Amino acid sequence: MEKKRNAGFETWLMHIFLGGSALVVLYPIFMMVMSGFKTNAEIFGTPFALPKSLNFDNYAVIWNTTDVPRYLLNSTIVTAISVAVLLITGTMAAYAISRYKFRGSIMVSLFFLAGLMLPLRLAIIPLFVQLKAMGLVDNLLGLIFIYTAMSLPSTVFILTGFLRALPSELEDSARVDGASELRIMVQIMVPLITPAMVIAGIYNAVPIWNDFFFPLIFIQTPENKTLAQGLTSFFGEYSVNFGVLYAGLTLAALPVVAVFIIQSKRFIAGMTAGAIK
Amino acid sequence: MANIKLRGVNKQFGDVKVIKDVSLTVEDNEFVVFVGPSGCGKSTLLRLIAGLEELTTGEIHIDNARIDHLAPAARGLAMVFQSYALYPHFTVGQNMGYALRVAKESKASIEKKVRAAAEILQLTDYLDRKPKALSGGQRQRVAIGRAIVRNPKVFLFDEPLSNLDAKLRVAMRIELTKLHRTLNATMIYVTHDQIEAMTMADKIVVLRDGVVEQIGAPLDLYNAPNNRFVAGFIGSPAMNFFAGQVAAFSEGSVEVELADGANITFPCQGSGLLVGDPVEFGVRPEHFSIGQGVDGTLNGDVYAVERLGGETYLYLTSGSQKEIVVHVSGDHQVAVGDRVEIGFSISQSHLFGPDGQSVSARNG
Amino acid sequence: MDDADYARAKRRRARNLKLWLAFLLAPPAAILIVFVFLPMASAVLYSLYEWDGLVRKEFIGLENFADILLNPNKNTLLFNAFWNNVKVFFSLMIVQNGIALVLALLLARNPRGYRFYQVVFFVPVILSTVIIGFQWKMFLNPVFGLVNKALHYVGLSDWALPWLGLPETALPSMLLVNSWHWFGFPTLVFLAAIHRIPKDFIEAARLDGASEWRIAREIIWPLMAPAVTIIVVLTFIGSFNWFEIPYIMNGLEGSPQGSTDMLGLLFYRTAFGSVSAGGSDFGSGSALAVLMFIFIFVFSIIATKYLTSREVEMS
Repeated sequence: MEKKRNAGFETWLMHIFLGGSALVVLYPIFMMVMSGFKTNAEIFGTPFALPKSLNFDNYAVIWNTTDVPRYLLNSTIVTAISVAVLLITGTMAAYAISRYKFRGSIMVSLFFLAGLMLPLRLAIIPLFVQLKAMGLVDNLLGLIFIYTAMSLPSTVFILTGFLRALPSELEDSARVDGASELRIMVQIMVPLITPAMVIAGIYNAVPIWNDFFFPLIFIQTPENKTLAQGLTSFFGEYSVNFGVLYAGLTLAALPVVAVFIIQSKRFIAGMTAGAIK
Repeated sequence: MANIKLRGVNKQFGDVKVIKDVSLTVEDNEFVVFVGPSGCGKSTLLRLIAGLEELTTGEIHIDNARIDHLAPAARGLAMVFQSYALYPHFTVGQNMGYALRVAKESKASIEKKVRAAAEILQLTDYLDRKPKALSGGQRQRVAIGRAIVRNPKVFLFDEPLSNLDAKLRVAMRIELTKLHRTLNATMIYVTHDQIEAMTMADKIVVLRDGVVEQIGAPLDLYNAPNNRFVAGFIGSPAMNFFAGQVAAFSEGSVEVELADGANITFPCQGSGLLVGDPVEFGVRPEHFSIGQGVDGTLNGDVYAVERLGGETYLYLTSGSQKEIVVHVSGDHQVAVGDRVEIGFSISQSHLFGPDGQSVSARNG
Repeated sequence: MDDADYARAKRRRARNLKLWLAFLLAPPAAILIVFVFLPMASAVLYSLYEWDGLVRKEFIGLENFADILLNPNKNTLLFNAFWNNVKVFFSLMIVQNGIALVLALLLARNPRGYRFYQVVFFVPVILSTVIIGFQWKMFLNPVFGLVNKALHYVGLSDWALPWLGLPETALPSMLLVNSWHWFGFPTLVFLAAIHRIPKDFIEAARLDGASEWRIAREIIWPLMAPAVTIIVVLTFIGSFNWFEIPYIMNGLEGSPQGSTDMLGLLFYRTAFGSVSAGGSDFGSGSALAVLMFIFIFVFSIIATKYLTSREVEMS
């Protein structure tokens, strides 16, 4: 009896703690979304009340008079191209490392893994000089190259693990069937690691989408700014209009959160892929 | 359809020699089994023929044309793998037709050949399924079907039955032999299971440590093993070996004294043995009889009996001999602890010299 | 065909395979060399030169290093920033990862709403730091911010402070925001590690009558050591590279009074110039980057070594 009551109390405590934590996460987000529908007067006067109506005026301001739509487009372009190039080149490297025995293969895989240890931010000065020389400063292409390079090591690392696990008899069988090495890779082996490619893609797409540091240094013209970076200039412009600012934050958060809600399992697997063996 | 010749084939992985100077011929339409304990190099030999491994030295010929420089697909052979290696994201039909698709055959022709093969293997109803939705036996048949579709000169099988349960294995053994007859094709089959080898092969190649120990028809290997290794490997339960030494020679025969004192006279000519040489005397469990033997008698204490009604297995010990296995037909009322006499005939027994070679391999 | 022809055919196949491998490896290797390895190596080189804007002047050896470490005008800034980074690391270890550990242990008991909590805790992790930084900067606004408004509502007007404006509260506020942003990540990493512990171990202990607390301390904790290693190292790297939150919430100068200055901010100011640091100085900036890299690298290795040594194999 004693024990049972004790267990009940523990369960209670657990739910309070978990529920409280969830509230601490959700309430600020909820307030941010709600405030986006409010006028400044409402925000300052009745900050915790629900908005009087679902008023999209703030969004209209953002859509019609700011560069935020442009930032959204730029972020989409940069993230999509980076991830595509990343997955293609990463798969190529991982495939060579994991499916062939060749002299120096250990050196090659160490070369790619070494990239995991190098924080590229600290090389921002030479990178700036170099990109300037290549004409890639204030250019989305420069960002794409940096993101691809930065994310290659982890991609190669994740994909190598999955490719190694594929049975070699599949490859042998395709070879006896007459398929070329390219065909074996593209038609037989790579389709079998698509889940791993999704994981590697998410693992890198989220930080690329959210990145603020590299655009801060490399992008100057408003037309080339990405979302995370563009928000800072947006905040400078509208610093007193809280309603518009909240709406802007909500809008900026929306794409990632929407994809996350639909694909939460894959997101969690993807984002924690580097930390869970 | 095709014969295969291996000449002086060697294969080295780094410093390790896995295949040592193997030469052999597989005749047209022959069913040849490579058998040996795991790590003997039998699978490597098969992969060398398939072209999945490069030869270190030597030559391979199919139909009297050298092929060891060609890519696997150009060699005109098909292979069935231990794990079946079905492409998981293709349907059964796509799996079977993949080689033809790679070879750019027309859709209609692929369809026709796949249907024909599916017919033979009773897979017609499964052509649109993915391998995941099939049973082990069906997957096995798809793997074979994939080989048939290509109409190859030679079929290679790498332990294809080892992932099946015992009952299915027996059924597939019979089916494969039947298939061999229907297709009239040359087949090379690798297994570690000597029963598969004995039941299916026209010719068995016994391998150990990358060396061919003996090549011959199943019953030739059983009756006249060249050496102690083959004698011990072929036959189940394995042959009993008794240590002894050469005591004397007389006209056309050698006298051997076994460790527990018995004397045996064994016919032989020019064996190269010397008096005092350690030798081993071998008798298969099924070649013992209970009671006095024609040419000699041993005895031992029963420590275990398996009475199956139709046949009886006795496990004996005697002095120097830790275990003697005796297999006799019929039921024998022997109890544990009994002392029994077991007889043998010289014509069904074997003698191996200090080098392990048979002193007089002869037909039984 | 003679023997030489066969040998040639074999060599051709071997060469084709090499070409294929080169085709696979060259593009990714080139990208990595040009955009990661080359800049990293250049950073070391740059730190040994005097710079005038974008122009490299003369080789001056370790003078840049001596300058930032020994020049009293500069090294007080450096040591202040470094000390702040140290505070960040230990605070995050206790607050962010401590909460994460508790939540992971609770979630490991598979409570009702397990999936919901998992998803909710991960929402801030996927959001951009910029969004979170601005959101909380607005919440913490001394006059209009929701935090102080809430304090007024519950009658704690005295507690309402200019959170980001006081040297005592600015950094702790930012650390709480950072914990809010990231706690879901260690939570789910810890949770995955706990799930990997064979159920038998925990059930056997429960049958032996061990309390939940004992099970957590004596079975789960030692067996989840690999995950702890990873989180400690990631937190360490993250703390000493901390940049976005202080930059967005209180700007480049680490205000108020340098209480939120970090190595990352100092590096940025030194390299690209600012009101306080003056024009950009690539030489000192590179030297600072090299020092930071060496420090982070060496300590990560030491920490990994030490932490891995206390991991137990479970098999």
